[in-house]
Amino acid sequence: MNTLEGLAHGLSVALQPSVLVYSLFGALLGTFVGVLPGIGAMAAITLLLPITYYISSEAALVMLAGVYYGAQYGGAVASILLRLPGTPQSAVTTLDGYPMAQQGRAGVALFTSMISSFSGSMLGIVILVLLAGWLAEVATMFGAAEYAAMMIMGLVAAATVGAGSPAKSLAMVVAGLILGCVGTDVNSGAQRFTFGQTQLLDGINLVALAMGLFGVAEVIANIRKADRHGPPDRISLRQLVPQRHELRKMIAPITRGTTLGGFFGALPGTGSTISSFLSYALERRISRHPERFGKGEIAGIAGPEAANNSAAITAFVPTLTLGIPGDPIMALMLGALVIHGIQPGPMMLEARPDMFWGLVASFGIGNLFLLILNLPLIGIWVSMLRIPFRWLYPAIIVFICLGVYSVRGATFDIAMVAGIGAIGYLLALASFSPAMLLLGFVLGPLIETNLRRALLISRGDPMVFIERPIACLFVMATVALVGFTTIKAVSRNRAARRQIAAAAAPQQEDDRT
Amino acid sequence: MQRDYQDLLWGAILALFGLAVAAYAAAHYEIGSLRRMGPGFFPVVLGVILTALGGVITVSAWSRAGVPQPFAWREGMGVILSLVVFAVLMPRLGIVATTALTTLISSSVAPRAGVSWRLVLCAAVTLLTWAVFVLALDMTIPVWPWSR
Repeated sequence: MNTLEGLAHGLSVALQPSVLVYSLFGALLGTFVGVLPGIGAMAAITLLLPITYYISSEAALVMLAGVYYGAQYGGAVASILLRLPGTPQSAVTTLDGYPMAQQGRAGVALFTSMISSFSGSMLGIVILVLLAGWLAEVATMFGAAEYAAMMIMGLVAAATVGAGSPAKSLAMVVAGLILGCVGTDVNSGAQRFTFGQTQLLDGINLVALAMGLFGVAEVIANIRKADRHGPPDRISLRQLVPQRHELRKMIAPITRGTTLGGFFGALPGTGSTISSFLSYALERRISRHPERFGKGEIAGIAGPEAANNSAAITAFVPTLTLGIPGDPIMALMLGALVIHGIQPGPMMLEARPDMFWGLVASFGIGNLFLLILNLPLIGIWVSMLRIPFRWLYPAIIVFICLGVYSVRGATFDIAMVAGIGAIGYLLALASFSPAMLLLGFVLGPLIETNLRRALLISRGDPMVFIERPIACLFVMATVALVGFTTIKAVSRNRAARRQIAAAAAPQQEDDRT
Repeated sequence: MQRDYQDLLWGAILALFGLAVAAYAAAHYEIGSLRRMGPGFFPVVLGVILTALGGVITVSAWSRAGVPQPFAWREGMGVILSLVVFAVLMPRLGIVATTALTTLISSSVAPRAGVSWRLVLCAAVTLLTWAVFVLALDMTIPVWPWSR
């Protein structure tokens, strides 16, 4: 099936009334949770996961994807109006969006974020189609060694490229890998870390883990925080219209942001949050007026918003063509696919064209819908920000409980969510990334299986990872990432110590006198 | 001397956890060889790596000042308690009564005190839950205490 045939076929799938309804529902729900600070796309998707057991696999995937990219639109609203990012991806948008709102240009800032998000998504779809076909072909050369090496590289990249301490992120990845070992070992049938609990034979429930880490932990963290901000002013439609020179200023940042986001989204490990930060840094670096950034510069909104939406779309490339989720949301998406009996991988484009192309077409429809509806509906979204968090979180808690309970009717799982939530809250407080833990958890069994298989085929010779060129490439990239991060961390530590020593030195002299 | 006690503690916890995993797996599961890995191989390797990473976190936190984080213990207790209450009561009381109770408990730790808004919220959430999970999704769960 070539691209045009594929797209036509995809449209026929995505335009089925039931699929269309779920796609639009997902996109709107995504915008809703994106707008509201305190609930992210992650929590919303986990909440919806159990419900997807009850609907067709196309509808389920299209709905979850809608939540994902819908949230990218909504996240900017709270960033601009309250200086409180609705989603991590839109944190950068606060830098220039909020100053614009203070200058009375909130409408223009909102319009910029919407149109940039839309352009980013649409170009992202083009990149997705081109890359997915190419990667699916390359992936037919992949064996177990390549898969294992690539997943390990993805995890290391996710932990070291992103913000935060690499040691902490890596520790979370490894902890996730360990949690992934719980349950019956596929190869030997041995029960690992079950401690005689029959509920643990199938391993830790993905939904329970995600809900604890992202639902419960975030609710606890936000009960006090989210209620502190005052409601924003009303926005009229006329305020949204930008002037021509403002429109012209968006084009170049949007193009650059899309390209950047498209690239980093498709790399397993790095995702839309990193893309939006990189795009902001790039725009400021090449701008002729870098001093205007942080004071209401349109390029500071247009670039990152285009980048995170483009990355959100291309994140599906490794997930669908290799079966390797690049970020935790994709990990959940992969979980949903597996629940519906679909194993993503190089064969998926041919084996399940309805699924692949239907998803691609729904991205286009959903984004168009978001653009057309969100501009007129902006008043409604703004008034959503008036809902205090205390009205929402008790409902979220009930939905978490019922969602987990519905998966297999076990109250054991709810107790598990409570425990994981408490630990997750404490970990997040100490700035350990729960997303890394989830990523490790999902990839763990896949890595172990492929590692075993690769070494079995090579008769226990680890050189198999060096002798095969593609695997060797991944191994070298992993080693380079680890080496680079270590050097950076050591030199930063040394600089910090020197600073402390310099600050302490005059004090010591004072002590002596 | 300033120390990042939070990271110090978590680094140590993670290192000990890694050590425990590695030791338990080594004692209980077969390690096998590189050619034919046993079920213990992967957990032992992971446990050792986690121990090392926990050590790195602890050591680097030793000579660094930490930023004390405000700890929402009241909110945390309220949320965890409402989850546990739900888990215990759900199979016995059914969805309607359990939802109502869970909502009342969890809203008690909200930044605004008061009973009337919580009763309204309780009624709304209970109705919504019933409409979504029983009416729309037709989930097979007990609805009332006597409908088991």
